Amino acid sequence: MAQSKASSTAKKKSGASRSADGKAGNGKAAGAKPKLPSKKEARGLLQRMMIIRRFEEEAGRQYQKAKAGGFLHLAIGEEATIVGTTSVMRDDDYLIGTYRTHGHAIARGTDPKRVMSELFGREGGTSGGRGGSMHIFDLERRFMGGYGIVGGTLPLAAGLGLASDYKGEDSVTVCMFGDGATNTGNFGETMNLAALWKLPVVFLVENNLYGMGTSLERHSAVTDLSEKASCLGVPGESVDGMDVLAVRECVSEHIRKARENRQPTMVEAFTYRYRGHSAADPEVYREREEVEEWQRKDPIESFARRLVDEGPLSESDVEGMREEAERIVLEAVKFADASPEPDLASLYDHLYVVGDQVPGWYAVDERSPDPHPGEEEREAGERAQQLAQKGAAYAGPEAAAQRRDEGDRPDPESAPGPTAPGTEAPEEGDGEPHEESG
Amino acid sequence: MAVVRMREALRDAMAEEMRRDESVFLIGEDVGVFQGAFKVSEGLLDEFGEKRVRDTPISENTIVGTGVGAAMGGLRPIVEIMTVNFALLAMDMIVNHAAAIPYMFGGQVRVPLVVRMPGGGGHQLGPTHSHSLEAMFLQIPGLLVACPSTPADGKGLLKAAIRDDNPVIFIEHESLYGSRGEVPDDDDHVLNFGDAAIRREGGDVTIVGLLRMAETADKAAQTLSHEHGVESEVVDPRTLRPLDLDTILESVAKTNHVVIVEEGWPHGGVGANLAALIQGQAFDHLDAPVQRVTGADVPMPYSKRLEQAAMPHSEHVVSAALASLEGSI
Amino acid sequence: MAEIVMPRLSDSMEEGTVIKWLKSVGDEVAVGDELVEIETDKANMVYEADSAGTLTEIVAEEGATMPIGETIARVGDAGDVSANGGGTTATEDAKDDKVADVSSENGEAAPGPVSTSSESPSAQPSSAPEATTPSAPPAAAPAGDGADGGGRVKASPIARRIARDKGVDLHALAGSGPGGRIIKVDVERAAIAAGDGVGAGPAAAEPAPPTPGASERPETAKGQTEVVELSKLQQTVARRMAESKATAPHFYLETEIDMSAAFRARKRLKEMADEGEPVPTFNDMVVKACALALRDFPRANGAYRDGRIELYSRVNVGVAVAAQDALVVPTVFDADRKGLRQIAAETRALAQRVREGQITPPELSGGTFTVSNLGMYGVSNFGAVINTPQAGILAVGELKPKAVVRDGEIVSRELMGVTLACDHRILYGADGAQFLARVRALLEEPIGLAL
Repeated sequence: MAQSKASSTAKKKSGASRSADGKAGNGKAAGAKPKLPSKKEARGLLQRMMIIRRFEEEAGRQYQKAKAGGFLHLAIGEEATIVGTTSVMRDDDYLIGTYRTHGHAIARGTDPKRVMSELFGREGGTSGGRGGSMHIFDLERRFMGGYGIVGGTLPLAAGLGLASDYKGEDSVTVCMFGDGATNTGNFGETMNLAALWKLPVVFLVENNLYGMGTSLERHSAVTDLSEKASCLGVPGESVDGMDVLAVRECVSEHIRKARENRQPTMVEAFTYRYRGHSAADPEVYREREEVEEWQRKDPIESFARRLVDEGPLSESDVEGMREEAERIVLEAVKFADASPEPDLASLYDHLYVVGDQVPGWYAVDERSPDPHPGEEEREAGERAQQLAQKGAAYAGPEAAAQRRDEGDRPDPESAPGPTAPGTEAPEEGDGEPHEESG
Repeated sequence: MAVVRMREALRDAMAEEMRRDESVFLIGEDVGVFQGAFKVSEGLLDEFGEKRVRDTPISENTIVGTGVGAAMGGLRPIVEIMTVNFALLAMDMIVNHAAAIPYMFGGQVRVPLVVRMPGGGGHQLGPTHSHSLEAMFLQIPGLLVACPSTPADGKGLLKAAIRDDNPVIFIEHESLYGSRGEVPDDDDHVLNFGDAAIRREGGDVTIVGLLRMAETADKAAQTLSHEHGVESEVVDPRTLRPLDLDTILESVAKTNHVVIVEEGWPHGGVGANLAALIQGQAFDHLDAPVQRVTGADVPMPYSKRLEQAAMPHSEHVVSAALASLEGSI
Repeated sequence: MAEIVMPRLSDSMEEGTVIKWLKSVGDEVAVGDELVEIETDKANMVYEADSAGTLTEIVAEEGATMPIGETIARVGDAGDVSANGGGTTATEDAKDDKVADVSSENGEAAPGPVSTSSESPSAQPSSAPEATTPSAPPAAAPAGDGADGGGRVKASPIARRIARDKGVDLHALAGSGPGGRIIKVDVERAAIAAGDGVGAGPAAAEPAPPTPGASERPETAKGQTEVVELSKLQQTVARRMAESKATAPHFYLETEIDMSAAFRARKRLKEMADEGEPVPTFNDMVVKACALALRDFPRANGAYRDGRIELYSRVNVGVAVAAQDALVVPTVFDADRKGLRQIAAETRALAQRVREGQITPPELSGGTFTVSNLGMYGVSNFGAVINTPQAGILAVGELKPKAVVRDGEIVSRELMGVTLACDHRILYGADGAQFLARVRALLEEPIGLAL
């Protein structure tokens, strides 16, 4: 969308002045189409993007069915940036991201079943239901987490880079974050430190043009984000984040610089989320036409079209891949539905490593009159268990109905229900006051 | 056994652990060339080099965050923050990340990180360098909190903290850096977290004191004994998380009177927390309300006169103990 | 709305004292639930609720004494607790019940509707006019030191616990802690003093506040009844004496002691004494004789307590003294080691202090045996009630010349009747008899008392 199209009102002064046409500032991606990879590889890229797209659509649906709770941030539209990046990472490279990272985990190889289960808050989830949508994590695949604090991952990425460096390994850390995070103090601190210590980190800003509902021009004095860290010793480059091959080519080069030259760099990928910031976003800050404009260069459709046009795939191949994505995602839902709710006795699990040196912590559970050493939580007294059950009863489906009827007083006798709490909370317009940019 | 100062004991703890384990390293502002703002890291740069003793820019949140990331990546970082007050700049990394990550990722990853920081008043450093914020860290599940008061404990607990797989907030006291004490010089002097020390035995009143207030409590106990015939049991919790509540409760069961001394603020303080625990767990053993002695409820003033007036001294402890014992002696 | 009235819990009970409410206002009460602990003339009894509902009001606060049949509490619907204006419907009331239930299980403060009753008394009378009774307490006030209303006792937690364990009545104690709080040391002293039984409380205890309504009773066949409230001390005497007779199996050993030698000895002492110098009384001699005998018979200087026998190293003899419509037993400590003259001086000083109301709890505690003397009233013999948990008490009658047979001749001798009451759980017949014989021997050859 060209700037001339932007309407005159402040809220419609869209962030798209740095355009979606792929002519990203200083990038070499402009104009020349990247060469197609092998058929097998191209197929893999397309399939991953389709699974992520389908997963996100389904996550939104399940959220509306109240199976998933909390905040839900979907990456629909950003698949090429995700998949393009992860496709050029090695298994021993680290990836760390934001609260919009269902797709990042899946792109790294995490089973969609486990991601969906985490959204459902179930035992089978990546974090056993402790993290939720914003906190997906898979150590085995070196996906070092999604995080709910904007900019909080930047120092962590530097630390991961330091670990590689310290141990003499040539693994690289790719840190993906949103345009909003470039305004945090951590951005300046971390860029300086990474450059100072020559850490093998690629900082990749997924510039989807909005920090939550605030457009790039309205939140950043420097709108060319590829340049925003250069004065701190981290040079950058922009790339069309809607073109999976362009992203591949660009990120691959930056990973090489990090790995071989110990030079941290910044990649600005122009991308766009079709959906709101989160599931509870009425999108008053942008025009419908702007969204449609970006949808016309949909990363999946355009890549599929090119593959069909240039030969490697047939229409029916593409159709078959869509069906495969559909199957995988529906299976994920089925799996998550069947996955058990977390055991109440596991509430204190994983809080500490206990052993000889730290025999446990004296957790005094003030919710019950009986204190108990935390490491013995699973042997907690009957009263503590009963009270935990009563607390859990607030998560039951009856609880929500009752809350509507009588304020916030669920029937304590009702057993914990099989599903997550009601959906009404986010949609009652509490304004998601704690969230920041996307 | 050798008699050494607290700062040397802490330095020795780090040096020994760095020799023992290649993955242990120290980062912080001026820990290297400058040898530490309080000279705790003296000599470490010479021995271990720049790779393992790293000076950092003044970027507290990123320093701690880098430590968190490095710990997730398999290292065992020691991060020095120049004072407790500066740790407030890193609270996001300490609370939202270091403490939460092991739990919110279902135990997939651990954060074996030690964040060392000195606090406490008495040096006319005013309202931005003199505070005692143990209570803030005490509140956070996922953190361990150590607050040693003797060189031997400093060494033993720091070695334990470095070897531990949990994130540890290690609070030192500026006024104790120069204090001397006997310290075992063997490499295996590692103390357990969650073991309080009984500094002095007595049957009349329990005085719980931490960090420098352990010394103050001991001094008050001497006065109580000599001038009032009151025998105090002085308990130094040594770690606040985990807390050795059992030892404290046993002492309270014996004495029926308890005074808690801390340098920090009264509201929501260590003593407030402990008082709640004691009344909950030992209500039937109390013969008087739990007495707390805390720092004054103000930012620390600069004027020496005002500063000393804002800090707890042994006279306060004696007075609190006698108030607790009113009618009993 | 049902009224809970002061129940009749014993055949002879006419009134009861509320010791402790086991439910708070707002609590659900089912028939058979333990509701309130009541002190009757005989014992402390737990009274179970006879109607179900929510405890809406406590009329008789803890410590209050009420006649049988008077309302002590009301049970009704939960809604009656708040009575704060029309909006509540029956179903909501039911829900409130549940919520209240959960909250109390959670150990939280009672939920809104309940706590408001104490804050807004104006909300109550409309549904419960009786609630205007002056003694109506605030609802469900949290327990804790410092509350000073009516029968509440300020006592530290451990003092309460020791009092519970040792059966010490906190109401009878004056606290030496801050603000008069009863602390551990007070209860421990009282528990030791309990050996002297009647000495458990300070002599200067305040009289109990008048019970509401007590003076307005109708005339009966006995004519007009004047009701005299017992002082705290009198209450204690009453309770402890009843406990002693009820729990300690008494048996009595009587004998006559020939005090002729003692009589002569005292005469000599009197002649030798300086002006104003106290001359030992016969009772002082009895005290001393008992003390020496107690040293020889450790069990007589012991106590039966909680299924065990306690033997004491010190011999402290209590001397019952009548005073202020009550009875107190000041103690002569280490009487076995004190000379007669010292004992004489001490007993006089103690009696004086009793009469002046100056006696202090330590002077009343610690006794291991008691001597009670009514001889001055012409009583020849009587059986005394043991001050539990002591093993025995020696009751001393009048000393008077009697004709007796000595060496086949009828002669006049100064005889004194004594009766030893023993607690058979610790002191058996033969033990008691030997002890008594020793006392007698010491008094009949009083030279031994001087040793």
